[in-house]
Amino acid sequence: MMQHTEVIRFENVSKQFREGLRARRVQAVTDLSLTIFEGEVFGFLGPNGAGKSTTIKLLINLITPDSGRISILGRDVREKETRLHVGFLPENPYFYDHLTAEELLWFGGRVAGLDRQIIRDRSADLLSRVGLSEAARRPLRTYSKGMVQRAGLALALVHDPKVVILDEPMSGLDPIGRKMVVDLIIDLKREGKTVFFSSHILNDVERLCDRVGIVVKGSLRRVEPLANLLLEGDLEQIFLREVDAAAIGVPL
Amino acid sequence: MNIYWSIALITFKEGIRNRALYGISLLALLLLAANQLICSMIMRDVGKVAVDIALSSISLAGLLIVFFVGINLLAKDLDRKTIYMVLSRPISRAQYLIGKYSGIALLLVLSVLILALFALASIYLVKGTYPDYFPRFSLAMILISIGFSLLSLLVLAAVSFFFSTLSSSSFTTLVLTIVTYIIGHSLQEVKSLVEAPGLVGIKVSATTVGMVRFASYFFPNLTLFDLKAQAAHALAIPGSYLLWVFLYGIIYIVVVLFAACMIFSRRQFA
Repeated sequence: MMQHTEVIRFENVSKQFREGLRARRVQAVTDLSLTIFEGEVFGFLGPNGAGKSTTIKLLINLITPDSGRISILGRDVREKETRLHVGFLPENPYFYDHLTAEELLWFGGRVAGLDRQIIRDRSADLLSRVGLSEAARRPLRTYSKGMVQRAGLALALVHDPKVVILDEPMSGLDPIGRKMVVDLIIDLKREGKTVFFSSHILNDVERLCDRVGIVVKGSLRRVEPLANLLLEGDLEQIFLREVDAAAIGVPL
Repeated sequence: MNIYWSIALITFKEGIRNRALYGISLLALLLLAANQLICSMIMRDVGKVAVDIALSSISLAGLLIVFFVGINLLAKDLDRKTIYMVLSRPISRAQYLIGKYSGIALLLVLSVLILALFALASIYLVKGTYPDYFPRFSLAMILISIGFSLLSLLVLAAVSFFFSTLSSSSFTTLVLTIVTYIIGHSLQEVKSLVEAPGLVGIKVSATTVGMVRFASYFFPNLTLFDLKAQAAHALAIPGSYLLWVFLYGIIYIVVVLFAACMIFSRRQFA
């Protein structure tokens, strides 16, 4: 495995939010340092509210860190050009009601500077891979939740990004949809893409990931190759142990 | 340019397929069709009334489009987090905002153009039926008035963008934009009143005068763009005045959008 080129790098990243009228401070991410290498499938695990989505939003520059630095392919994530090589699927994606999947992909390709013909070819290919060929010209408001998720995946990949970031890609999908996402991630890995995805479906993580990071209460508690972790036992047991350890304040 | 155009185009497509747009256009067309009926019942100043009804129908429909289609196009992105999909592309926040505004502007221009054709048809229909009531008639003034109505809608849409960048709920944006519309249309009168209260025999405190003056720097003076009365009476307006109002509108839009971009660039999408 080509585990030498750094693709994603978090350096001592912290993020705090202010909530409610009294602006109570909530520490969402604490001193996160993490490096993901080229060609890796990295699973980011954590219970609900652990800071997974916050970390991903920091990576996409939807929010900015209070301290620390984040880069993708050696470029600061605050530069818009960085996202030329990044494909992103948000959690529970919601797109435009009256646009079709084809138009959505046209948009994704155009803003990445792709040629019309390339967009057409890639759209057709991707929509068939996610099983939406027949629905390609229907408005997105007529799609089921699973179909929207699949359209989102096609959109994330339309510009052939080197790095793919998926926030809970399996959430809300039926077994067929989940298998399709799993197959797609396997394909991406085969193509040498770097995949960073968050999930709490441990089964899928076990099937797909090279390395796993476990985040609890905003702190990264473990980062290890999956094979090493599994030597300690079942992934579910390890996951629950880390959550419990964080709850009683066991230091990292 | 490619990025701005791509955002503008998907915004325009999303807007033009919105059923609310058809509802609003239908309402305007009904009003224009009623023009003939209303004029036939009044039988006084028919020429003035016909022009006034036609121009008011365009203004009303345009206003409803800004409130219920335009605001939704931006605020829904924020409400439903569609913006994550857009901002995860190689697009800066300013590009997103300007592209989005261009799409809405395109939608407004097209809607007003179509409504204007129907408005002219309705005016000419009344004029054909009652030619005696149109001793003074100026097509140029009608077109100028429609143009400035459009400009005031573009100003209001820019204001709604500014409010959208401050709030994450489309309802708040809608309320603030409606309030701006009301203030924008009464500011000039209120300002003249508080600056010369003696004329109507009232007293106004210095604080009130200060506050009204202060507000007049922030809120757009929408009265300036309302040339319906001049069009209805076919009154000529000096070109220099029109140029100043035009520049005022354009500068207001640029400044408000610039401020919106500044705020938006720092916004945290948590």
